[in-house]
Amino acid sequence: MRKRKIDPLLLIGLIIIAGSLFLAIFGNSLAPYDPQEPVGDFSMPPSADHWFGTDGSGLDVFSRVLAAPRVDVAIAVTAAIVSAVLGTGVGLYAGYFTGRFSEIVMRVSDILQSFPVFILAMVLVTLTGRNVVNLIFVLAFLYTPIFVRLTRSEVVTQRTRTYVEAARATGNSEFQIATRHVLRNSLAPSLVQLSVTVGFGILLTSGLSFVGAGVRPPTPEWGIMIASGAPNIILNEWWTSIFPGIAISITVFGYAAAGNAIERWARK
Amino acid sequence: MRRYVLRRLAVGVLQALGITIAVFFVIRALPADPVSRIVGMNPTEDSIRQARHALGLDMSLFQQLLTFLGFHGDGVFTGSLGTSWVSGSTVLSEIAITLPTTIQLIVTSFIVALVVAIPIGMATARRPGGKLDKGVFGYGLFAGAQPEFWWGLIFIFVFYFKMGIAPAPLGLLDPELTAPKSVTNFVLIDSLIAGDFTAFKSALGHLVLPVLTLSFLLVGPLLKMTQQSMSRVLSSEFILYQQASGLEKKSIGRSTLRSALAPIITLTGILFGFMLSGAVLVESVFSLNGLGQYAVAAVLNLDFPAVQGVILVISVISLFVYLGLDLLLAKIDPRILVK
Amino acid sequence: MTPPEALLSARALTVKYPYGDVQNVVINELDLDLYPGQIVGLLGESGSGKSSLALALMGLARHPGIVSGEVNFRGKNLLKMDDEELRQIRGNSIGLITQKPRQALDPLVNVGKQISRVYRAHSQASKADAQVRAVELLRSVGINDAERRVNAFPHELSGGMAQRALISMALSVEPDLLIADEPTSGLDVTIQAQFLDRMWERARDANIAVLIVTQDLGIVANYCDRIVIMEDGKIIEDRLTADFFADPHTAYGKKLILASGAGTKSSNAEVAIATTPEILRVTDLRKTFEVEGGKRLQAVSKASFQIHKGRSLGLVGESGSGKTTVGRLILRLADPDSGEVWFKGERIDSISPKEFRKYRSKIQAVFQDPFDSLNPRWPIERVIREPLDLHTEMSKAEKAARVKELVSLVGLTDDILQLRPGSLSAGQQQRVSLARALATEPEFLILDEPTSALPPAARADMIRLLKSLQDRLDLCFIFISHDLSTVRELCHDIAVMYLSEIVEMGTSEQVFSAPSHPYTRALLDSVLFHDPSSRRVDRKIKAELEGEIPSPVDLPAGCYLAARCPMAEQRCRDDHQALIEIGPSRSVRCWKSVEASK
Repeated sequence: MRKRKIDPLLLIGLIIIAGSLFLAIFGNSLAPYDPQEPVGDFSMPPSADHWFGTDGSGLDVFSRVLAAPRVDVAIAVTAAIVSAVLGTGVGLYAGYFTGRFSEIVMRVSDILQSFPVFILAMVLVTLTGRNVVNLIFVLAFLYTPIFVRLTRSEVVTQRTRTYVEAARATGNSEFQIATRHVLRNSLAPSLVQLSVTVGFGILLTSGLSFVGAGVRPPTPEWGIMIASGAPNIILNEWWTSIFPGIAISITVFGYAAAGNAIERWARK
Repeated sequence: MRRYVLRRLAVGVLQALGITIAVFFVIRALPADPVSRIVGMNPTEDSIRQARHALGLDMSLFQQLLTFLGFHGDGVFTGSLGTSWVSGSTVLSEIAITLPTTIQLIVTSFIVALVVAIPIGMATARRPGGKLDKGVFGYGLFAGAQPEFWWGLIFIFVFYFKMGIAPAPLGLLDPELTAPKSVTNFVLIDSLIAGDFTAFKSALGHLVLPVLTLSFLLVGPLLKMTQQSMSRVLSSEFILYQQASGLEKKSIGRSTLRSALAPIITLTGILFGFMLSGAVLVESVFSLNGLGQYAVAAVLNLDFPAVQGVILVISVISLFVYLGLDLLLAKIDPRILVK
Repeated sequence: MTPPEALLSARALTVKYPYGDVQNVVINELDLDLYPGQIVGLLGESGSGKSSLALALMGLARHPGIVSGEVNFRGKNLLKMDDEELRQIRGNSIGLITQKPRQALDPLVNVGKQISRVYRAHSQASKADAQVRAVELLRSVGINDAERRVNAFPHELSGGMAQRALISMALSVEPDLLIADEPTSGLDVTIQAQFLDRMWERARDANIAVLIVTQDLGIVANYCDRIVIMEDGKIIEDRLTADFFADPHTAYGKKLILASGAGTKSSNAEVAIATTPEILRVTDLRKTFEVEGGKRLQAVSKASFQIHKGRSLGLVGESGSGKTTVGRLILRLADPDSGEVWFKGERIDSISPKEFRKYRSKIQAVFQDPFDSLNPRWPIERVIREPLDLHTEMSKAEKAARVKELVSLVGLTDDILQLRPGSLSAGQQQRVSLARALATEPEFLILDEPTSALPPAARADMIRLLKSLQDRLDLCFIFISHDLSTVRELCHDIAVMYLSEIVEMGTSEQVFSAPSHPYTRALLDSVLFHDPSSRRVDRKIKAELEGEIPSPVDLPAGCYLAARCPMAEQRCRDDHQALIEIGPSRSVRCWKSVEASK
């Protein structure tokens, strides 16, 4: 047995996650300027007044970077939690009680999972209307099958373990075995996936906006910001795109790191 | 073996059909009105009715589906994906032009990524806990999830704008060159067929940054998988036993490689499917007129036949890629056939 | 005796596992000599470095370990040899048999190819010759149908068959030194006896040096000339076997000898035939399972027996005999195809699962795998309390008191209550399982190999605990086991099972003192007593069985043992045998035994 030390990866991940959640709630109030109102000269490089400069419409980039988590992080976290709760429940049922229902659930999630994710997301968001709530619904819909699959396959393994047999011999009903014993032992993969999914949700949200199929400008959102700066990056106006990109990069890494650390911890 | 292939094919075809039909209904079930896009501002009742009739939207859903599938004339079953509502040309011909660009980009990126990831992964697996090992772990974790469109921009900024060593991120060729005659629609191949080496070199040059962007991200998971798979095999009981049995190094090396390869192949398949639709972002950054760009345009214009066509084509390609890789796996690992 | 020159001598042998800047030393400057013709048993607790030593003697370490020091084989240091010279010795002069036979085979290559690869690595044979040789070798280790089996992939082999394939590889080149790392741990006792007998003969005839890594003192007592005990990567005791058994020097050695004392002699001499009321009656129980290809595997066939209050029945058999399935059928963890189960006069096999749940507090169970039997996320307190929550109306305080009472009943202390199963030893885990089973004061228990997965000392403790509980609580139970000495110690009655059938039944005393069925006799003969003065190799074995256990999917028409039985005649192969009573509470499924008893 080794000494219990805090996994540095977990620490980094948790700090970044905490930061992202903090900004999702308070980012708007921390922003020095209104993220949706032009503040003066456009396309100004970083300065003491505008730390990250201003974009082509004269919006303050720093304020927008701080305000964007309210869209990006909020969408991704909400969608990930919804799909995790839903997927874990369905996966538990489909894994523990084999039968026609489980068969149907698995076939449906097979088909859902073989869709080209990005294009499907684009289609769904465009057709339902490009706003935050619809994005959450679409992401949750796309990610639920992952949790169904993960939970189900873990439940199928757990079901064959002796403690389940012992629980039955002790006098638990099948429902009690599924909820009290098996569920608790099948959560680890979903927990890992939850963190990873938030990261992917942020990438998908910003990617959709980047191609013009996500939330509408001038909403402060990292993907929109990168897209608005993209044509000008070869004119040396790098700050409009670089800063939101760094924000995405760090945030997504944080969720991935936490997921990885949880996985390592769960394996012990 | 043959039964396995046939079964996989049958399941795959059913799945592709399932996807197609699902997409058909999903598109139509959602609250969006394609007609308003087509008739323009201030339409008359009459022009709306005409447009609906022209697009076949006045038929019942079920009749629309039958038409799309090919029960009334040309359709999916006869190899037609319909006509674009926006451009008026057939969806198939448009996909035939855009798809090769995407495939060229993805395949090249995968080749680069695998060539980089496999040897490095194998080398680091032999020395666990070392600096290189930790570096590989960190990189794998980092590159596993990153905004590729942003990295593309960074590479453009650094290699094109600052250093001036890469060509402008605008399309497949230098704008002043005339494109080689289209045969396969793969610019690299077409320019070779035409014997136009200037075009070939230019096409290659234009591929460098997009491929760098994609493989920069692909190397992450592939490297991590190679390393894990390799160290699992190296510490496995049977490699140890082969050493204890005095087998020749070459022979043991072959066994190791063969066993380590299976998970890498599986991951490559999954990533490939993911990239087919994920490449759209990189295409967008580098103004490559690929399938992804086509899909974006189709979706934003509510061009239903084009949307259906793209999704069907991508599903079918992924299907064949998965099947091909699974056959390769079955060839390597006899246990696959049991499942 | 003055030892001849050592075949192999290790000096300052060290194995380290580097991880970054840290080094984990598993073999620490160890010296060891091995002599031709001598069989050495290597003992030690898990983690003592036994397996690492076995490998290091060939200059090997599990990836990424590093071996240093000296291993002189015939005077030449293996660790200084070039690759080619070393390669010629491994698998040729030194053979290895590993503990996990199935994992030792390359999963992607068929068995024949693997055998011929090894053969060709050490000879000039052509591919075709090597293939022929592979078939011969497989046949020589007793694999039926060798021509077909050479094309099998490892996942298509049973553990026993994979073990034979490995043995055939190790012996294909007639090594001078054979290193066997727990070679029989996955094998049934009758098969184990066959293997060890053959190895013993080989060592004696060809003057081979053998090193057996084992946990089983029985193997050491019966087959080894010398004993080496390891602890923390060092040798702490190195003695001749007889000397060791007479007077172990180290604490670990003493513990082993003490533990083995528990299983050697019978303590329930002359048990009367049951007179107390009947608790459980099973009649004509039958269970088959569907296997691939639509065939049916016969797991239990026509099992009938009854158990009376205060008595215990030992259900004995090798893997695949159906003994565990009988337990599961009684517990309603599986439903029988036909037959009846009666508990205190009430039929319980055909009631609904919901109705059966009220019997659960009366019929409890302990399973084989100590760790896997407990929910890994629950603290021990909750594990033991669970049956009280489900079946009683006790108050919180009453439950807490009962849990404490149970914990001390099974010989544990209160401080484990807040721990999770993972931080307990296997022996403690199994006691927790027992406490849980006893919580509702059940009238009947099924103990399914509760001691099999425990290390020797913990096993002895567990048996002692069960014995004392038996006396104190007047327990009534079925004890399922493949270990005859344990059953003998704990059970009043015995039922021996072979391939889904009960082949012999009687009181413990009857069966052990006068076994009647040939299978029972072979089973008794394969017991390895922990006593070097009564070795199996010195006894004259009459009832030795040959070959493999037939597949329970394709059972022969006649007696299931006929193909392996030394007494078999044509009539045995033709007629299926019935279980026939040959005395009070005593029956046997063999016409020859029945006739002999008349």
